[in-house]
Amino acid sequence: MALFTSGRDFSMMRHINRELLNDIISQQASFYKYKIGDTKTNIYGEAAGEKYFDGPYIFSCLVSRSDQEFPESDLGVNFNQAIDFSFFRDDLVDTMYVPEVGDIVLYQESYYEIDDLVANQYFGGKNPDYPNNGSAGQQNPLNPGLSKFGANVSIIAKTHYVPADKLNLSPYKERL
Amino acid sequence: MNIPIWPGSSSFAPNSGDTPFGFYDDDYDFQTDADKFSMFASRRLGYPIMDIELQDIHFYTAFEEAVTTYGNEVFAFKIRENQLSLEGADASVDVTNSTITPSMANVVRLSKQYGAEAGSGGNVTWYDGEVDLVNNQQVYDLNAWAAAEGLDRKGGIEIKRVFFESPPAITQYYDPYSGTGFGFQALFNSFGFAAMSPATNYLMMPLSFDLQTVQAIEMNQQVRKSNYTFELINNQLRVFPIPNGSGGKMRFQYIINDERIDSSESEGNDAVANRVTSVLDAPYSNPIYTRINAPGRSWIYEYALAFVRETLGDIRNKYSQIPIPNAEVQLNGDDLISQGREDRFKLIDRLREYLEQTSRRQLLERRADESEFRSKELNQVPMVIYVG
Repeated sequence: MALFTSGRDFSMMRHINRELLNDIISQQASFYKYKIGDTKTNIYGEAAGEKYFDGPYIFSCLVSRSDQEFPESDLGVNFNQAIDFSFFRDDLVDTMYVPEVGDIVLYQESYYEIDDLVANQYFGGKNPDYPNNGSAGQQNPLNPGLSKFGANVSIIAKTHYVPADKLNLSPYKERL
Repeated sequence: MNIPIWPGSSSFAPNSGDTPFGFYDDDYDFQTDADKFSMFASRRLGYPIMDIELQDIHFYTAFEEAVTTYGNEVFAFKIRENQLSLEGADASVDVTNSTITPSMANVVRLSKQYGAEAGSGGNVTWYDGEVDLVNNQQVYDLNAWAAAEGLDRKGGIEIKRVFFESPPAITQYYDPYSGTGFGFQALFNSFGFAAMSPATNYLMMPLSFDLQTVQAIEMNQQVRKSNYTFELINNQLRVFPIPNGSGGKMRFQYIINDERIDSSESEGNDAVANRVTSVLDAPYSNPIYTRINAPGRSWIYEYALAFVRETLGDIRNKYSQIPIPNAEVQLNGDDLISQGREDRFKLIDRLREYLEQTSRRQLLERRADESEFRSKELNQVPMVIYVG
């Protein structure tokens, strides 16, 4: 039976994380999730006309910004910036928000589309969602009760900048 | 699982397991101070600006331990101060809040060993023994005598006194060879043996004269005669002069070696059950919180705070790195532990120094100093010439 990285231990870390993210660092970002059913698509599966979103859902997170880039093309000077948003996974679980690739993140008056999601940071290297029990409910023969140990700590959303006009988000109605 | 942490307030519930031992749960002052201390300590640790990963029971536990530690320090000092008076006292009488009046009982007990060795009392019995004197035998093996008596199994014997002595000098006071003086003439006169004066003429001599005469007799016997004496090495008794006839007895006094040791262990026959035998069973219990004064309570708050700080450090230090999203942080557990420990040691040192300054000896010394200084001060006052 595992002895360390129990749910009790992680409970203390949850307090630490929330204090750190909410009260000390206080960086925030908001999610917009596409309302697929309300958005009309063309024959190519692309949005035709207005796009509809749920949200915004605001969360505390850690923001890792890369430098702004201004690439030049035949059309002129463009703008790009990649940002990684690191969320405390339990915050998302508590609000039952499941981020997906394609969701939009609002950060400092700009929009960033999620390219990639990483949920690979485990406390003690253990993910309690996989206790390796038997399919009929038998306990893990080597280490029973592993569902009470370890934690899936974070979800990291890797994003890139998206111009607001491509999203058709109303800055007055749908933004914070 | 979500374990709640300190919410900012608490409500102490006596005898509900809030404190591990419940020593002071029934004390009203303790009950009210427990919650006040929790607030005090949490604020000293940074609440509400900082979260405190503790629960109310941590504060209560530290508080209870601090009170107990304070009591232990004070009563340990009292025990040290009074152990000489407490040892041997009834252990069932709680003296936690009693005034101890020093007694001579144990000083006398400790002194008995000197009496035992000097033969003037003590707690080791002196026994009588005797051996037959044998014609022309100078050496007598008293170890063999002890073995014959079965005393060798009790650690053997130690001879304390040998009665191989010349007759008292006073018995030879009238020996014509021992000396002369007016005292004899006066005595002879009084019996009519001399013609120089009538029998009624008696010259009274001072007592010092008699003593000097006795000393002269003894000196005479030592220098001019073969005086009675002996030498004792390893219980081999060599006597002088060598006996020149059988039938006599030589008496001596001895102790049994084991009894000397036993007298240390059990205080002879005075060993009584349920007596204070050491600091272990000195009849002190935990302090009564209500009776602790303000300086004492202040010390307790500070000491308990140091404990809380250490506990918080232990909690924050269980894992050296705490995972946060896409990173790890290190908490201040080490700092809290070292600070808490340092504070505790300093507080203990401060309390011990304070107690030492209030020891009986220090107080008496200070009082003597004060008296001396006061006397010097008064000497500065000009003397008044009395005019009648």
